[in-house]
Amino acid sequence: MEVTMDPLFLAWSYFRRRKLQQCSEICSKILQDSPYDQAAWSLKTQALTEMVYIDEIEVDQEGIAEMMLDENAIAQVARPGTSLRLPGTSHGGGPTPAVRPMTQSGRPITGFVRPNTQSGRPGTMEQAIKTPRTASTARPVTSASGRFIRLGTASMLTNPEGPFINLSRLNMSRYSQKPNLSRTLFEYILHHENDVKNFFFHLQALDLAALATEQAQFKDWWWKVQLGKCYYRLGLYREAEKQFRSALSHQEMVDTYLYLAKLYQRLDQPITALNLFKHGLDHFPGEVTLLTGIARIHEEMNNMASATEYYKEVLKQDNTHVEAIACIGSNHFYSDQPEIALRFYRRLLQMGVYNCQLYNNLGLCCFYAQQYDMTLSSFERALALVANDEEQADVWYNIGQVALGIGDLTLAYQCFKLTLAFSNDHAEAYNNLAVLELRKGRVEQSKAFLQTAATLSPHMYEPHYNLSILSEKIGDLQSSYMAAQKSEDAFPEHVDTQQVLVQLRQHFAAL
Amino acid sequence: MPEVKSVFREVLPKQGQLSMEDVPTMVLCKPKLLPLKSVTVEKLEKMQMEAQEAIKQQEVAMKEQSQ
Repeated sequence: MEVTMDPLFLAWSYFRRRKLQQCSEICSKILQDSPYDQAAWSLKTQALTEMVYIDEIEVDQEGIAEMMLDENAIAQVARPGTSLRLPGTSHGGGPTPAVRPMTQSGRPITGFVRPNTQSGRPGTMEQAIKTPRTASTARPVTSASGRFIRLGTASMLTNPEGPFINLSRLNMSRYSQKPNLSRTLFEYILHHENDVKNFFFHLQALDLAALATEQAQFKDWWWKVQLGKCYYRLGLYREAEKQFRSALSHQEMVDTYLYLAKLYQRLDQPITALNLFKHGLDHFPGEVTLLTGIARIHEEMNNMASATEYYKEVLKQDNTHVEAIACIGSNHFYSDQPEIALRFYRRLLQMGVYNCQLYNNLGLCCFYAQQYDMTLSSFERALALVANDEEQADVWYNIGQVALGIGDLTLAYQCFKLTLAFSNDHAEAYNNLAVLELRKGRVEQSKAFLQTAATLSPHMYEPHYNLSILSEKIGDLQSSYMAAQKSEDAFPEHVDTQQVLVQLRQHFAAL
Repeated sequence: MPEVKSVFREVLPKQGQLSMEDVPTMVLCKPKLLPLKSVTVEKLEKMQMEAQEAIKQQEVAMKEQSQ
């Protein structure tokens, strides 16, 4: 007779090996035979949670509604250097947009993306609605209707019998008395059920957390942190702050510091967040996540020098920190030291990072560091590793830059055309194509490309400035002046724009 | 390469004004380093892809059933 393994033990083993689907199937079988098996129930809950688990510290997607109707910021017109909304106000020796491209929100592009750095805050409602209408940065209307709702509907569809736990029928006060079940249940609600009817389930999670805290005589830091998370998701930031603070007074934890700092960043108080991180570092000296947090805030405030300092500090503690290496590398590249940037990116390659972005960056660094033999083979690899059309477009755009560098204008032209074939809202490619078209003498075509580029990304100064020069040459001084003004808005320190404006004003005065 | 001796001599004025016109030229956009993705972003994208696949498959199945 065949000896079979105890099914619950097998399920545990699957869970430990992260074969979550199999684990949950075995648990379902056990539960069919004995519906009140708490161990199997708890394990299945954990497995389902793990499938969709995302680190709560990292999750921060703002919808249009949160962004534009934000009542939480203390000062609407903040003093320079105290707000994340006015990044241009504190220049800490960072490169100008003349060297380093900008993101939509007017920050220099970073070396690393996380969910909350993907797209910065646009300045106006108009911009918020208009610009994100591209495939790569589609912004949800509110965070409640974002990525998660799509994930949620999919999980509903794949479970035709309905969800595993029917939350509306649960007796929360009974579960809150069983500490071994209540924690897994809570995490399940927070992570797995966060999608469907967002608000209702958060209230249930909140309910459970509140009851459990009461059960623990308000002394359990873990439940307080969870309460804080619920309040944060519901947008009750001040209540969340109270819970986190109270949890910290019971037990110092790195996580709690990170949640609290995330909350202060949402409230647009970067200085408070920085102080908090420094306070945390007193208790946990050399903690990498706290140091990274400080570096990120400096980077968001456009203070590249301090950001790099802190990233270096991170690398002293953990010399395989991908984010720190990538950020320092990109900073070196844009401060005219591609050789050093190349060393950082090569280090990433040695560590086993193997993707399209890294090879693209290596290719660019090689070219500007005059190691021409490696350039094209790096780009070939990057092209072989692309995952979607946007990435492919970006790689072709950079190959076009290399072609411009060696003076092969035909190749450059073709590369930029290919960029547009893969992503037809690539403003940089439109701008560069316009310059090439003008060299060929096709004024109308060039003007059309520039106008497209200017509408696609109004935050870049290049298309506006080019349009201004072109219009002036044609003799259309009025449009030239308007374009120059837009260019000045995007990049106030640009000397050539200033000169154009001065000339035009002289013209107008003479009339 | 042997230098070709030019018959013309270079003339550098020693007196008078030297004027230079600064002609504005078009600017190109700069090369773009691509940011690396964090683990969370990659996981989110993977989950979203899988979810979309699942929905697509179910929709195809529904269509076949209704036919």
